[in-house]
Amino acid sequence: MKTNKYRGFLCLALALTMALLAGCAGGAGAAAGGEKHRVTIVAKSTQTEFWRSVFAGAEAAATEYNLELTVTGPETEEDYLAQNQMVTQAVEEGAEVLVFSAIDYEKSAAAIDAAAAAGAKIVTIDSNVDSAASRTYIGTDNYAAGQMAARAALACGQAELRVGLVNYDKNSANGQERERAVRDALAEVPGATVVAGINVPAEAARAQAGTAKMLAQHPEINVLIAFNEPTSVGAARALSERKLGDSVWMVGFDSNVETIDMLQTGVVDALIVQNPYAMGYLGVESAYKLVAGQAGELAATVDTATTIVNRENMFTIDSQKVLFAFE
Amino acid sequence: MIGPEKPRSPAAPPAANKRGVSMTMVLVLIVMSIVALMLVVCVTVFSHQYESATVQNAKTSSGQAVAQVVNTVQSYTEDMNEVMALLTGAMQDATADPGDFMSAFLQMRPDVIAVTAYDAAGTLQSCWAEGRQPKADILRNLSFDGAAAGTAANHYISAPHVETIFDGYYPWVVTMAARLPGGGGAAWVALDLSFTGISSYISNVGIGQHGYCFLMDANGTIIYHPQQQLIYSGLKSEDTARLATLQDGTYTDASVIYCLQGVPGSNWRVVGVSYLDELVTGNVLAMVRILLLLAALLLAVALLVSWIVSSVLSSPLHRLSTAMAEFEQDAGRFSYQPVKGAREVRNLSDSFGHMVLRIQRLMATVREEEVNLRKTELKALQAQINPHFLYNTLDSIAWMCERGRNADAVQMVHALARLFRISISKGHELIPIRKELEHAESYLQIQKYRYKNQFEYTFTVDPACLDYLCNKITLQPIIENAICHGLELMVEEGHIAVKVEEAGQDILLSVTDNGVGMTAEQVDAMLKREPSDRTGIGIKNVNDRLRIYFGEPYGLHITSEPDVGTCVEIRMPKVREGEYENK
Repeated sequence: MKTNKYRGFLCLALALTMALLAGCAGGAGAAAGGEKHRVTIVAKSTQTEFWRSVFAGAEAAATEYNLELTVTGPETEEDYLAQNQMVTQAVEEGAEVLVFSAIDYEKSAAAIDAAAAAGAKIVTIDSNVDSAASRTYIGTDNYAAGQMAARAALACGQAELRVGLVNYDKNSANGQERERAVRDALAEVPGATVVAGINVPAEAARAQAGTAKMLAQHPEINVLIAFNEPTSVGAARALSERKLGDSVWMVGFDSNVETIDMLQTGVVDALIVQNPYAMGYLGVESAYKLVAGQAGELAATVDTATTIVNRENMFTIDSQKVLFAFE
Repeated sequence: MIGPEKPRSPAAPPAANKRGVSMTMVLVLIVMSIVALMLVVCVTVFSHQYESATVQNAKTSSGQAVAQVVNTVQSYTEDMNEVMALLTGAMQDATADPGDFMSAFLQMRPDVIAVTAYDAAGTLQSCWAEGRQPKADILRNLSFDGAAAGTAANHYISAPHVETIFDGYYPWVVTMAARLPGGGGAAWVALDLSFTGISSYISNVGIGQHGYCFLMDANGTIIYHPQQQLIYSGLKSEDTARLATLQDGTYTDASVIYCLQGVPGSNWRVVGVSYLDELVTGNVLAMVRILLLLAALLLAVALLVSWIVSSVLSSPLHRLSTAMAEFEQDAGRFSYQPVKGAREVRNLSDSFGHMVLRIQRLMATVREEEVNLRKTELKALQAQINPHFLYNTLDSIAWMCERGRNADAVQMVHALARLFRISISKGHELIPIRKELEHAESYLQIQKYRYKNQFEYTFTVDPACLDYLCNKITLQPIIENAICHGLELMVEEGHIAVKVEEAGQDILLSVTDNGVGMTAEQVDAMLKREPSDRTGIGIKNVNDRLRIYFGEPYGLHITSEPDVGTCVEIRMPKVREGEYENK
């Protein structure tokens, strides 16, 4: 009968309507879910000015993107075991995205892979990790930064360069990359020799002791390069202690009140300043993009700008903004 | 009462309702398109209205946020002016040592980082700071700008900068320097006021989800931006050159709302930046979602309504039209069932019911009248023919008596008597086949005497058929026709065979002769010819009566071939005594 056909048609239309209703309700429900996304930063340290600046940037982004941000980091910049444990704990506590900075390029890979397998998304900042799980790396182009350091060292005006290197943990990819760039750059310069290189824990006191020892063993050193904030502070202290501030040209990394003081007094001659604020900010912004379904916008690598600061330009307004964080 | 007849001609199947659009369909389409149209209009109007309202809202909230920042910054600069007035007063008070005043003042105001005094050449003369001494060797003192002092009339306010005169202490400050009148030792006094209060305030001002405020000067140089590290490293940019050209007010640029307001008493301007897409698009999307939900609901209601309308109006109408089609197919046997539904439909249905009854009654009347007409015609013809036949027969009997053939005369008289008795049959139209055969045989006997044995006849009868009924005087007109038109003109002896047999549900009577035969045209003409004196009750009359009584498939079937003979078949249903009325 004809009537049956129409009843069928009506049923179909009604079913479609119901499906539409359900779809709308579902969509509305998903949109209404106002739960904050949880992001955890596992840093290399929580003590240095560098990391405080990273956290400032991270918090700015977390506020802007309405995220629940947790900041963790080990006591010392060598304790990769503590860091791995923090990664595991963060995932257990429900972090959706880990913003990670690896103390050890290789030894944290397993922990990060496990975290990714448990569903967490990974963003690395400052120091990369040997894991394919990391969706994006935000940090300094360390080789370029090393080349800048070499350039700053060559500006000392001496014909013969006897260079001493003060690097931190040998397993950190960043420090090794910078040192490699410095060694590559100096190898091309006639008259420049790297006479000594040490690796010390990333603490100012240990770096000072190590540098003092190196300077005692190699009095011919007239250029000193330190590769991160604590080693720079330690090396500068050692120079200052041995009254070598004027005779030894020193290039350091990152800004610290002490190194800035000594930049003015002439102990330190140049600082390669990274952009920790941008690392923190962009790291958390990328985390937001990952959870907000905009992962396609992420680049594999983001280079945060690096600047050379010396006595001449340190008080220009731009350098002030780079060196001195607003509290 | 005579029973219903089979339809004469089956009506053409009702094709009209297979084509076109059904009422339900039309209703559903109308309701759906109205709902859809209304929804589209609603969604468009709503979202437009909503969007403009939300944009307005966003602008207002942006303006409010900026106004608050302006107030804060203004009170900061005013505070600076007041403090400066205090300071210049103290500095010029020759009776007291400014140092005493300063230490008390600095304790009271922890946000004053340092107060410095300079001679006309810009050399630092004295510095007061809570718990700090300036460095012996200051690389560069940002707290006094000789160039700015040279062009300033009485005082100037610097952009925020870092305090550079202490060891290991680099707070962000804004400096206000004022010229000291009179020829005292110090020509300028500079006040370094902490900027962190303002900067953290501005950093915390949010407009919408991602919006923020920043400070720039009249030239578009950024004084403070919450994300200035990002700007400095080129990861973010503000089009301050263009913003600097704009007057105070609110501007919408694609998806960004800029709100500019100058800070009175300084060349600083506060810029509020907020994003339309998150403020507006989110809200509009939510609105559209709600509307879609509403639309789906309305659509469901519309479908329900059309369903109801269909069951109340359309399907009863459909049932009614089906009933009409059935009636058209078989008006006689149709029995009408009233259709339920809306009042109008019920009225329609009732009228149809009345019409059906009326038509059926009329049909019955017409049929009855037709039967009566045939009966009358039959009687009239019987009355007409009988005299001729009677005279001839009586002549033959008289002739037989004259010749002394008494036995033949007696047989003739008996046959004549039987013929009349059966043809009257108490006025019944249907008589048993047995009687009809007797009638036919009597007629044949009489005619055989009259035609002096010019022909022979045989009867082949299935005894099972004898008790079924048939119309009276069915065979006689056919036999008469066979004798008159078939055998009379023949030279050799003729033969007539009468046969009765069962044919399934029917009975088949046939009269076959070997006479001169007929052409197809003659056969056709015979079935249409009206009776005449000469022919008596015509073959047409026989055929008509059979059709009236038993319907279309029954009646006569003539096959004839010139010079071979004619065969007339009579087909009728098996009807027993008393059965016909029930059929």
